[in-house]
Amino acid sequence: MASSISLPRVEPGNPLLNALRILPGVVLLAGIGYAAKILERSVNTYAKTHHWTFPNIEYVLWAILIGLVISNTLAIPRLFLPGIATYEFWLKLGIVLLGARFVLADILKLGGISLALVVIEITLSLALMTVLGRLFKLKPKLISLLAIGSAVCGVSAIIAAKGAIDADDEDSSFAIAAILALGALSLFTFPAIAHSLHMNDVSYGLWAGLGVDNTAEATAAGALYSDAAGKVAVLAKTARNAMIGFVVLAYAIYWAGRGQAQTVSNKAAFLWKRFPKFILGFLLISLLVSFHAFNNGQVTSLGNLSKWAFLLTFAGVGLRTNFRDMSKQGLRPFIVGALGEVLIACLTLGLVLGANRIWGL
Amino acid sequence: MSSNKSATTSSKGSSLSLDTWAVIAALLLALALRFDIIKNVPW
Repeated sequence: MASSISLPRVEPGNPLLNALRILPGVVLLAGIGYAAKILERSVNTYAKTHHWTFPNIEYVLWAILIGLVISNTLAIPRLFLPGIATYEFWLKLGIVLLGARFVLADILKLGGISLALVVIEITLSLALMTVLGRLFKLKPKLISLLAIGSAVCGVSAIIAAKGAIDADDEDSSFAIAAILALGALSLFTFPAIAHSLHMNDVSYGLWAGLGVDNTAEATAAGALYSDAAGKVAVLAKTARNAMIGFVVLAYAIYWAGRGQAQTVSNKAAFLWKRFPKFILGFLLISLLVSFHAFNNGQVTSLGNLSKWAFLLTFAGVGLRTNFRDMSKQGLRPFIVGALGEVLIACLTLGLVLGANRIWGL
Repeated sequence: MSSNKSATTSSKGSSLSLDTWAVIAALLLALALRFDIIKNVPW
């Protein structure tokens, strides 16, 4: 893995053995998450008791910071790695359960706005990254991977595209490194910029969902601003994720046309295979809540379960980010990624502020 | 980048993807709450 700690694959086999393999890492994620919650409460209480003017640091930031400190100062024993790799499962579980906090009317309104902005964002991002990549004379398939990663949804999109366009391991590793490194930076820059612009929760959530590439970082960047912004960020990011199949298909057809990738024979199967199925789960839970399948207490509990799942995700985001490994990556892909991301962040900010004027978000 | 690859694609021994497992787990939790097997989840 390029910019983060190397997380091993959980091999198929005996389910009990696999559960035992992931247990230490999951306990570590839960321990960091719980420590973050305790730190949030105790630091705030201490500051209040001693009449300190101290910024309210939320559990999200504590979880990421603890993870970052551990991964950048200690060598994490291999025993923990399979469990740490489950952070993506917790992310998707959290998103599906988050459906309980949206009624369908919210999804239709915000999701519709998000989708419209997503289409514009994807078009602009693909064009921008392609121009930048050519300007910096990057390899054509690396340009494609960087463009897909920054336009759609980070690591998942790059992995989906890698097979479809027959890109090599080195290119995808570079692209993933750039996306993850920039995602880590966005955790700190996005909320700071939004605070300075006094953005409201919905506008900021949309911006984080559109501007931050990897789903885990977009979720964290949203939650770092506020709970409400976190919800909107996930919705916008989910709308973006839904486009993954279409963008990868377009690139697969492009490269197949140049004889450098396999031809796509069944486009519907191609799209379905790459469609993020957790989006359907998110919609199903929201549908059930909208039709009152759960009482208020149960809806609150579903929302709380989602928060617990995200807590483990945020700990994982910190644990997998290793700045030493990031610095070993090639400079040119990183510069192209960074330039592109800054421009995309500005573009998406403009889009969101424009949408705010038109629709009064 | 093996870890991310493993996280986003289904494993060789299972036909279900990570996404599908996440949906199944979420639905099981929702059912457990709906039928009071889990009473309350505090935050």
